[in-house]
Amino acid sequence: MSALQHKVLVVDDDPVVGKSFNRVLSQKGYVVVTAENAQEALSKVQEGEYDVVFTDIKMPGMSGIELAERLKVERPWTPVVIVTGFGSAANQERAKAAGVSSFLEKPLSPEMIEGSLRQALLEAVPAVVPGLVEAAHPEPVEEESHLKKVALFVAAPFIGLLYAVMLPFVGLGMLAYLGVKALKKNATATKVISLVAAPFIGLAFIVTLPFVGTAMLAWLGVRALIKKTQVE
Amino acid sequence: MQKLYINPLPVRIWHWTNAVGFILLIATGLQIRYLDLIQLVPFRTAVVAHNWVGFVLIANFFLWLGFYLFTDKIKVYHPELSPTKYFRASFRQMQYYGYGIFRGDPNPHHVSVYHKFNALQSMTYQIIMMLVVPVQFFTGVLLWDVTRFAAMVEMFGGVRVVDTVHVLFFIFFTGFIFIHPYLASLSHTPWAHFKAMITGYEEVEDEAPKKGAASN
Repeated sequence: MSALQHKVLVVDDDPVVGKSFNRVLSQKGYVVVTAENAQEALSKVQEGEYDVVFTDIKMPGMSGIELAERLKVERPWTPVVIVTGFGSAANQERAKAAGVSSFLEKPLSPEMIEGSLRQALLEAVPAVVPGLVEAAHPEPVEEESHLKKVALFVAAPFIGLLYAVMLPFVGLGMLAYLGVKALKKNATATKVISLVAAPFIGLAFIVTLPFVGTAMLAWLGVRALIKKTQVE
Repeated sequence: MQKLYINPLPVRIWHWTNAVGFILLIATGLQIRYLDLIQLVPFRTAVVAHNWVGFVLIANFFLWLGFYLFTDKIKVYHPELSPTKYFRASFRQMQYYGYGIFRGDPNPHHVSVYHKFNALQSMTYQIIMMLVVPVQFFTGVLLWDVTRFAAMVEMFGGVRVVDTVHVLFFIFFTGFIFIHPYLASLSHTPWAHFKAMITGYEEVEDEAPKKGAASN
């Protein structure tokens, strides 16, 4: 597999570290993406697949160890390398338990960066079968059958069409939800909304009332009939 | 600037043949449909050219289909099976196209060999390539020889129905031929995506090596 196809995520609140990785690895044909905290890293991982994740331990918010744990739960096939200047035994133990590939201690040299990446990729070979990572498959050892790939290919336009139909409704629903959530924070707005919504809610009750009443009467009638049949 | 080999040769041949072919089909189709308004070439020539270009594009479609069916690049057209992931990515992309791009925000979609399309493109191309284009070719073949395919044309509700579907999709493709180059110009440079469809290599914009980075 060419280095060009490998994508590396570097998570460190110090941008110099990300730049160092970029400088060393991009020359070798790797694609380096950086994140300044764990939250940003998680959202980047959600958006695209990475072959290796390097993370610092001490970061504002979620620590690198927590990030590694999250990644190992969500994407167990992605190798995670911890980069730190604070390699305490407790941290190392916790990281190992989470399935972290290796520890890289600062200060870093270009050889260390490239060496650890190569090692992580080598370790990941049984798990990182090309394409499985892309498909985010939880059982990476088995390659997808060609039949399954073709089936997905054939199903794609129909799923796409379904998404296209649903997209405006989901979008409007989300907008409405966000709008209501924002307005709920404002007491005056809540009162105004209640006032505006009141006649519509009342109308909805009036419209549904006869149906609910009829349904209840029908239900009571059916229940009485059943009871009468059972007594006879 | 990183370069990823995103567009293999068969895809590039298919793409540019398709581009030229669709422009010719639109031009000749316009003349056939609006004979009173447009007379670029004699009517008969327009019909013959429309038919021939149509058949070339049908063959070209099978080149595209064969390439994707028999290589691992088939994954490029695989659907996102998680609606949550799909909708989240779509709304991020919409926000980028509608707002972020004007502020210079980075594109939320990161191109990779098997994920060359963002969520919106993925949905659009799945529908276009596997539903709209085949239907357009199919209705085109039916209209090419209405007598030969009379039974089938009748089955679909007659010439008027088949023709309406063909013309509606023709209008859609005419719109697409304008929108597509505009969207293709929204890379880090206006020509980057065009270049990628010629060389095969896509430039990945936000992973460029930065000068002055420390090596520790």
